[in-house]
Amino acid sequence: MRRFVRRTKAIARKEFLHMIRDTRVLYLALGLPVVMLVIFGYAVSLDIEHIPLATVDQDGTREARRLEEALVAGGAFVREADLSSPEKAEALLRRGRVKAILIIPQGYQHALARGAMSGAQLLVDGTDGTVATLALGEAVSIVQSLTLPDAASSRASLSKGASIRVRFNPALRSAYSIVPGVIVMILGMLSSLLTALTVAREWERGSMEQLFATPVSRSQIILGKLIPYAALGFVQTLLILTLGVYMFDVPIEGSLVTLFGCSMLFIISMLGIGLFVSVATKSQMLSVQFAAMLGYMPAMLLSGFLFPIANMPWWLRGLASLFPARYYLAALRGIMLKGNGFVVLAPQILALSGFALAILSLAVAKFRRRLA
Amino acid sequence: MLLSLFNVMRKEFTQTLRDRRMVIQLLVAPVLQLFIFGYAINLDVDRIPTVVCNQDQTRESRDLIQRFFANGTFERKGEVPDPAGAQTALETGDAAVTLIMGRGFAVRSARHGDTAVQVLVDGTDTTRAQVAANAAAQFLQLNGVNAAPRRVPTLIPRILYNQRLSTSMYMLPGVLASLLLNITALMAAMGLVRERETGTLEQVLVTPIRPVAFLAGKCLPYILFGLIDVVSVMLLSSLIFAMPIRGPLVVLALGSFLYIFSTLGFGVLLATLSSTQQQTLLGAFAFILPAALLGGFMSPIDTMPRWVQLLTLLNPMRHFIEIMRMCLLKGAGMGDLVRQLVCLAALGIGLLAISVLRFRKRIT
Repeated sequence: MRRFVRRTKAIARKEFLHMIRDTRVLYLALGLPVVMLVIFGYAVSLDIEHIPLATVDQDGTREARRLEEALVAGGAFVREADLSSPEKAEALLRRGRVKAILIIPQGYQHALARGAMSGAQLLVDGTDGTVATLALGEAVSIVQSLTLPDAASSRASLSKGASIRVRFNPALRSAYSIVPGVIVMILGMLSSLLTALTVAREWERGSMEQLFATPVSRSQIILGKLIPYAALGFVQTLLILTLGVYMFDVPIEGSLVTLFGCSMLFIISMLGIGLFVSVATKSQMLSVQFAAMLGYMPAMLLSGFLFPIANMPWWLRGLASLFPARYYLAALRGIMLKGNGFVVLAPQILALSGFALAILSLAVAKFRRRLA
Repeated sequence: MLLSLFNVMRKEFTQTLRDRRMVIQLLVAPVLQLFIFGYAINLDVDRIPTVVCNQDQTRESRDLIQRFFANGTFERKGEVPDPAGAQTALETGDAAVTLIMGRGFAVRSARHGDTAVQVLVDGTDTTRAQVAANAAAQFLQLNGVNAAPRRVPTLIPRILYNQRLSTSMYMLPGVLASLLLNITALMAAMGLVRERETGTLEQVLVTPIRPVAFLAGKCLPYILFGLIDVVSVMLLSSLIFAMPIRGPLVVLALGSFLYIFSTLGFGVLLATLSSTQQQTLLGAFAFILPAALLGGFMSPIDTMPRWVQLLTLLNPMRHFIEIMRMCLLKGAGMGDLVRQLVCLAALGIGLLAISVLRFRKRIT
C-alpha cells in the first residue's frame, strides 16, 4: 500500500511539473473560465431589449399612437422606422434591418371604441426564434396591460386574490441560472479536454515506453495523471465561484463542503472521460475529438442549462441521464440557490460518484502495458 | 510549386484517411452531432413539472385545475396534501411549479369575486420561471373574468419565414457553423502543430517544398472535408428536419467556402502561435467559445450592448449564421448579403496573410 502511494505520488509529481512548466496552458486554463463568465455575464443578455421595430400607422389616431408608444416605452422595442405602407416595412424586415413590424390598420380607434375586435398586427421575423418568441411575448403582455381608461373598472377577476410568487430567485435575475450553468460548461469542457491529451501525448512522443520500463502499474499512472488536474480543477472551481459570488451577487445558500464535494466528483468524472479516450485512442488529435464528443458536448447540451431536458425526446432524456452534467447542475442549483443539504442531494451525489468510479475503472481496464 | 503542393496534399490525405477513426471524426461525427443537436435543441418551454395542492376540493376548484393543465404548458406531476408538501417538492426539484388552491376557493370566488389561489415558481432556471409565471398570470387573468373586458386592443401576431417557430430551423445554421469551426480552427491547427511536435516539419522543410506550398497543401484537404460536411449536413437538415432552402445555392456555397476559408485563417494563425498540441487546443477553445457565444447562435445579437455588437463584426460565425439564416429561410440572394460575404472574405485574407508571414519568419 505504501509503495502504491509512493509510486502514484511520483507520477503525480512528474505530471504536475509538466503542467507548471507550460505556463501558456496554465494561463489559458485559468483565463478561459474568467472570459466565459464575463461574456455570459455582460455581453449575453436573454432579457429582451432594443429590438428594432418598424411601425406602419394607417389609422393615425390617438389610440394608435398610444399603442405605438406603449410598445417603445419599456425599452424592449426601439423604433427604427415609421413607414407608410406594409410593403416597405416588409422589405426592411427581409433585409434584417428590423426584427418586428407593427401595423395599425385604418379604423383601429373606431373599432376599439365600438368594442369590436380591433386588431393591430405584429409581424415578427422568425429566423431568429429566440428573438421572435421573446418579442412576441413581450408585445402581447404590453398590449394586454393597455386597457382603455373606462374599461379599467371591469369586473372582479381571479387575479385579484391570486398570487404568483417566484421562490429562490424572486427578482428572476438571469445570473442566478447562468452562473451554475456556466460552471458546469467550463469545468466539463476543460477537465475532459485537458486530460484527453496527457496519456496520448506519452504514446505519441514515445515516453510511454520509458514509463513501462519502470515498476509503476496502470492504475498508478492513471491516478498519478488524475491528481494534478483534479487540483487544477479545484482551483478553477474556486475561481469561478468567487467571481460568480462577487461579480454577479449569486448566493451560496448551502454548505461549501457539499458544494466542493460535488464539484470534485464532477471534475473527477470529466477527467476520467478524458483519460479514458486518451488511453483508448493513443493519438492527441483523435482523443480531443472523442473527448469533445463524450465530455464537452454532453456537458453543454445535456445538462439542462441551455435546453430543458424535459422537452427532449425520450432517447435523449435517457442519454442525458447517462452523463454526469445534469446531476451536477441539479446539485449546484440546489446548493447555491435553494440551500439543499446532503440528504436532499443524495441521488445526485450517488450518481456522480458512480460515474466517476465507473469511468476510472474503464480507463484502467482499457490501458494496456504493451507497445504497438 | 503546384506539383509539391499536390504532393503535400496527397500525403495529408493518406495520413488522415489511413486511420478509420479519423474518417469517422471528420465525416460521420458532424452528421451524428447535428442529429443529436437537432433533437436536443428545443427552446420551447412546456411540460413544466407541476404539483397541485387542492385544499378546497370542490367541483369549481377541480375544474380550474383541469383547465390549468389543458394547454400543455404545465404537466401535472402529482398532488400534495398541504402547502408544506408543495414547498418540499420545489426544494427537491420534483416540481418547478406548485399550484395551491386555498380552502373556500369556490365560496369566495362566487361571493366576493376574489379567490385564494397561489402559484409558486422555482426561480433557479430563469427562462423556465419567466415562462411559467407569465403563463400562470395569463391563465388567471383569462379565467377570472367570465367575459373579458372587450374594449382592450388585441394584437394579432404573425411570424414570417418560420411560421411554426421551429427551433431547429434557426438553430441548425449555428450548429453547422460550430461543427465547421471544429474542423478548421482546431483539427487543421493541431495537424500543423503535430508536425512540429513530432519533428516531421523539419524533415519536410529540407525537401525542395516551399513553405507556402506546404501550408496550402496542409490546409486544402480540410477545406474539402469542411465542404463535404456542409453538403451532408444540409442534406440531413432538409430530409429530417424539413429545413427549407429558399435562396440560391450559389450563395450558400460561396458563404460556406468563405466561412471555412476565414476560420482556417484563424487555425493557421493559431498553429504559428503554439508549440504543443495542448496549447493549440486551449487556444482554439479560447476562440471557439466566445465566437459561438457571440455569434448570434446561443443568444441574439440585438440584445447585446452596442460595443459588443460592433465587436461581433470581427466574428466570422456571425456573418456565416446570418448568411445561412437569411438565405435558407428568407430566400435572400447575393445582393442582400454583400456585407456579410465581403466581411468574411476580408477576415479570411487578413488572417491568412498574417499567418503566412509569421510562418515564414518562424522557419527562417
